Amino acid sequence: MINQRALQGGTALFVAAVGTILAVGAARLPAEKGYSILGPQVFPFAVATLLIVLAAVLAIQASRAPVKQSSDVESQPTGARAGAAWLTAGLVAVAALINVVGFVLASALLFTMAARGFGSKSPVRDLAIGISLVLPVYWLFTAGLGVSLPPLLNAWI
Amino acid sequence: MSEIFSSLLSGFAAALVPVNLMWGFVGCLLGTAIGVLPGIGPALTVAVLLPITAKVEPTGALIMFAGIYYGAQFGGSTTSILLNTPGESSSMVTALEGNLMARHGRAGPALATAAIGSFVAGTFATVLLTFFAPFVANVALKFGPAEYFTILVFAFTTVSAVLGASMVRGLVSLGMGLAIGLIGLDSISGAARFTGNIPELLDGIEVVLVAVALFAVSEALYSVLFPANEDFGQHKMTSLWMTKADWKRSVPAWLRGTAIGFPFGSIPAGGAEIPTFLSYSAEKKLCKHPEEFAANNGKGAIEGVAGPEAANNASVTGSLVPLLTLGIPTSATAAILLAAFQNYNLQPGPLLFQTSGDLVWALVASLYIGNVILLVLNLPLVGLWVKLLAIPRQYLSAGILVFATIGVYGMRQSAFDLLLMLGIGWVGVAMRRFDFPIAPVIVGMLLGPMAEKQLRNALMISEGKWTVFLTQPICAAVLLLTFAMLVVPAILRRRGMSLGEDD
Repeated sequence: MINQRALQGGTALFVAAVGTILAVGAARLPAEKGYSILGPQVFPFAVATLLIVLAAVLAIQASRAPVKQSSDVESQPTGARAGAAWLTAGLVAVAALINVVGFVLASALLFTMAARGFGSKSPVRDLAIGISLVLPVYWLFTAGLGVSLPPLLNAWI
Repeated sequence: MSEIFSSLLSGFAAALVPVNLMWGFVGCLLGTAIGVLPGIGPALTVAVLLPITAKVEPTGALIMFAGIYYGAQFGGSTTSILLNTPGESSSMVTALEGNLMARHGRAGPALATAAIGSFVAGTFATVLLTFFAPFVANVALKFGPAEYFTILVFAFTTVSAVLGASMVRGLVSLGMGLAIGLIGLDSISGAARFTGNIPELLDGIEVVLVAVALFAVSEALYSVLFPANEDFGQHKMTSLWMTKADWKRSVPAWLRGTAIGFPFGSIPAGGAEIPTFLSYSAEKKLCKHPEEFAANNGKGAIEGVAGPEAANNASVTGSLVPLLTLGIPTSATAAILLAAFQNYNLQPGPLLFQTSGDLVWALVASLYIGNVILLVLNLPLVGLWVKLLAIPRQYLSAGILVFATIGVYGMRQSAFDLLLMLGIGWVGVAMRRFDFPIAPVIVGMLLGPMAEKQLRNALMISEGKWTVFLTQPICAAVLLLTFAMLVVPAILRRRGMSLGEDD
């Protein structure tokens, strides 16, 4: 059950917050111009103004929106949030581990966790598929394209 | 004129070298595959493959990227017709009319008119590009910072106000993109802006990172949270042969679609959405068999596939005009193509035709060749492409996430970037949820810094006089055009959108 008006109001607040952060940040920038006519703070101020004006328009639109209960949330299947949590955890894990255990293992782990998030129930098979997908990709990118990805396993093993 | 022909001939000579032909083929193959597959688009694919710019020479790499760019449009129509799953908003009309034809046993002619129409439109649009682009480049040579600034304002306005559901939402997206573009060192004064003392942010945020986060990561998260009710009723393939009547009805629709699509692509307004809808409503009005259209519970009208598909492809080719001649990308994919040029220290713009003429003409020639390759790849192999959809959804999405991390991590080996990608991905989920368009974010963050620099340089030259934007004729004309773009699409949109009400 989500209040449509509250959601739109929240969006307006977020936009206003970004605008305010920009304005405050711009005010703290050195205003010295050097040879240029406009200093580094002018353009940020302009963007801040644009966002704050738009936030006001969004707020007005929100206040006119019907206070209707959105039924979309009910159509979410059970486990949708858990699924999104698995994906998020997988991406955090790859960021935390890629420099420790290397590209292949970290990516295979991400593959397994993401597949779990999308409803797969056989993690061992997923891991095997993940590794067999990632190994040739690793080889292709490092040997073929010259991208430097951290090695299979770090030197300390 | 003869100059253009000789340049184009040497372009063909360069593009037909076996290595480059191979890159073009690979690009078309990849492009079709990702066009068929849901959840992965040309922007992400080119972003993941950007690192090859370190190894492959520029002509080959850019030929491949261009192949991916328009190959994806070819592939997208196949799934729209057979499965009613439009990958992008620009193939929504094809899904509507083409899928209806497929349901009534005419999948073959629908696929054929889409593929041949894309070929015809792509080829005609390339001819227009061939003669139009050098002319634009010549005019643009005289542009100074003031002219560039007004053109960028024009691009901002059109990209955010013309695309998407509402002007306010488009402008909010644009503002967010401009805000992201501010992060990093100011190019003129060298002051660090909005870095929050995080050293990783001093260089700014890469456009590739934001594009991958907003397209791939947010798409994956969103599809888990709000799964679409996929109607995977696949339709039987039928003979691809179009009847004489089909041809008679398709040819004019292809030509009209091209005429509508190319200009929309080549003005910095971006997006293939408007021209496809315009073409659709034009076909609906002109058609002698209005009872066949979806709106009238018909069996699907072939014009409704032929016209919009042609418009779609012509506008994609058209969007290369502002990219090559002005250095202004008008779509997310074009923005990443620009990044590819910059990796080679090439700056698209009017000088590109002089400094790297060989490369530009090879690229243009490759467009002619690529259209032929795509026609050959698509029609006979359509059954093979559809088999791609047998890949289980969870593995496809998990694989896309793995490729997203490769693309982002491979840029500068930073785990911080991966977390940033995740964070922006979640912002993208909220944007999708609340109907904020994504393309203006990418365009804003890429063109924002350009616009700021041109504005400050223009004012330096004019010694602080803002009137320069009104007194110089080109600036004034572009600003007037910007104003017109704000008003006219509102009228056109109302017409195009009435399509939704009919159904």
